Amino acid sequence: MSTITLQTRLARAELDKGLRLMWRRRALVVAAAIVYGLTYLGISLFIGGGHLVKDLMVRTLPGLLAVLVASTAAVEGCAGISEEINGGTLEQTRLSPASPQLQMLGRMTALAIEGLAVAAALGVVFVFGAGLDVNPHPEALIPAVLTVLDALGYGLIMTALVVRVASIGAISHVGTMAIMAFGGTLVPISVFPHGMQIFARFIPTTQGVESINALVAGRGLAATWSDGTLPWLLVHTAALLAAGFSLYAINIRHAHREGGLRAR
Amino acid sequence: MRTLTALRNEIRKGLIFAWSERLQILIEMPMFAVFVILLGPLLGQGENLASGRVDWSLNSQTTSAMVLWFTPFIFFYMQVVKMFWRLLGEIQAGTLEQVFLSPLPPWLVAAAGRVAAAFLETLFVAAATYAMVSVFVGIHLHWTAAALVPAFAIMIAAIGLSLIIAGATLVYKRIQIVNDGVLMMVMIFSASALPLIHVPGWWAAASHAFPLTDGVGSLYNVMIANRSVASAWGLGGLVPLFTISTAYLLAGIGAFILGAHVAKNRGTLARY
Repeated sequence: MSTITLQTRLARAELDKGLRLMWRRRALVVAAAIVYGLTYLGISLFIGGGHLVKDLMVRTLPGLLAVLVASTAAVEGCAGISEEINGGTLEQTRLSPASPQLQMLGRMTALAIEGLAVAAALGVVFVFGAGLDVNPHPEALIPAVLTVLDALGYGLIMTALVVRVASIGAISHVGTMAIMAFGGTLVPISVFPHGMQIFARFIPTTQGVESINALVAGRGLAATWSDGTLPWLLVHTAALLAAGFSLYAINIRHAHREGGLRAR
Repeated sequence: MRTLTALRNEIRKGLIFAWSERLQILIEMPMFAVFVILLGPLLGQGENLASGRVDWSLNSQTTSAMVLWFTPFIFFYMQVVKMFWRLLGEIQAGTLEQVFLSPLPPWLVAAAGRVAAAFLETLFVAAATYAMVSVFVGIHLHWTAAALVPAFAIMIAAIGLSLIIAGATLVYKRIQIVNDGVLMMVMIFSASALPLIHVPGWWAAASHAFPLTDGVGSLYNVMIANRSVASAWGLGGLVPLFTISTAYLLAGIGAFILGAHVAKNRGTLARY
């Protein structure tokens, strides 16, 4: 068997495992989707002063969908690794010929599918349920894919930290709250004061949401490239993914050496 | 005597856990202040925001109400979220079965081990939130001992909700996303107790079923509107306040007992 075939099979095995686990807790996935939907509805009513402002929701809905993918990747990624540490099974994963990065690739792909499934369902519910006037533009798929990867990069970093940092629960809570507050779920980033906009650009998924909004509003891909939004999104995504995979490999190696692959 | 010693030990254990999580508390501390400062100017501004206009100034009256709203929510967060993570850790490590060897009822062990720590953590985080927000805008609250009445009811309701989540955790284990979402809904619906926005009728009606709404309403009556805490009816009245809190506590105890019973029967109390 060639190396590539073996690596593909190993990554697919992790993906299968992740999807089976998701299917086992499908009731919770549905419950989470309902709760997130109600939360978004509450926030929208809050900001709308008791009624839904559809023009605003068209621009904040991509933010919600990005938060869903990021939060699923971070929360479920952290919970999965922490469960394996507490249960003592993370050590067993090191018996596999797959590298830590490859195993994580499989896990993250499964979490991406879970997050996207929830996001797609909620997107459909809000677009048709609330009667949002969204003009889907094929070009928006490019920043959408990059936004999903950016969200996974964030989830990957949080998951990598579980192995090393005991207070990861708090860090991932604050991270997800920051994405919700500054990533365009509450309000479009463009209405923030200038200083806050600069800060928001460093938050995962923010640039992606801004690009998607620009394309849905009819501005072309060339415009989002020339104003720097799309290049910055590319750099941000690449940096987060690279940092996430490297950090995970480093932390697993460190935990292996120091005996941190089981409960501390 | 044996019961008191066991109870004291659980509280002490909870405080030791809380101390070990001090870095976590420090990380979470700015989250609430940032939300108050960010959300304050956005409330009810939907139409303006849609057209790209927003005034980012903070209003003292609105911000005071928001600080008052967030403080009991901080207690809910500390009690519910941290109890969930601790319980899940014990399930995964296999030490939860040992709780059933205690002379105390298991639900009391779970609740007592967190409540004192959650109270102290809330004092610390709420004080920090107050200080951070005060830098931007004046907060005007009427400090009175009468506020201890709704504070007590809020604590009872939070213990109840944390036990409901704990009972579900014993059966379904990894429910953190649902847990976070439920807390967000508790927070959002409790806003109807404050004159921050005009909420639809269905929202106002539904909000009474949530554990924090009447507590926040009573705190608002006492600490901002300068009304008596002793009124029996209406939003934040003593009757709905204590009825809801007691109902949540009883539901929590019931849910925990039921969850433990199901997990014991399935043999999954300490394993998957």
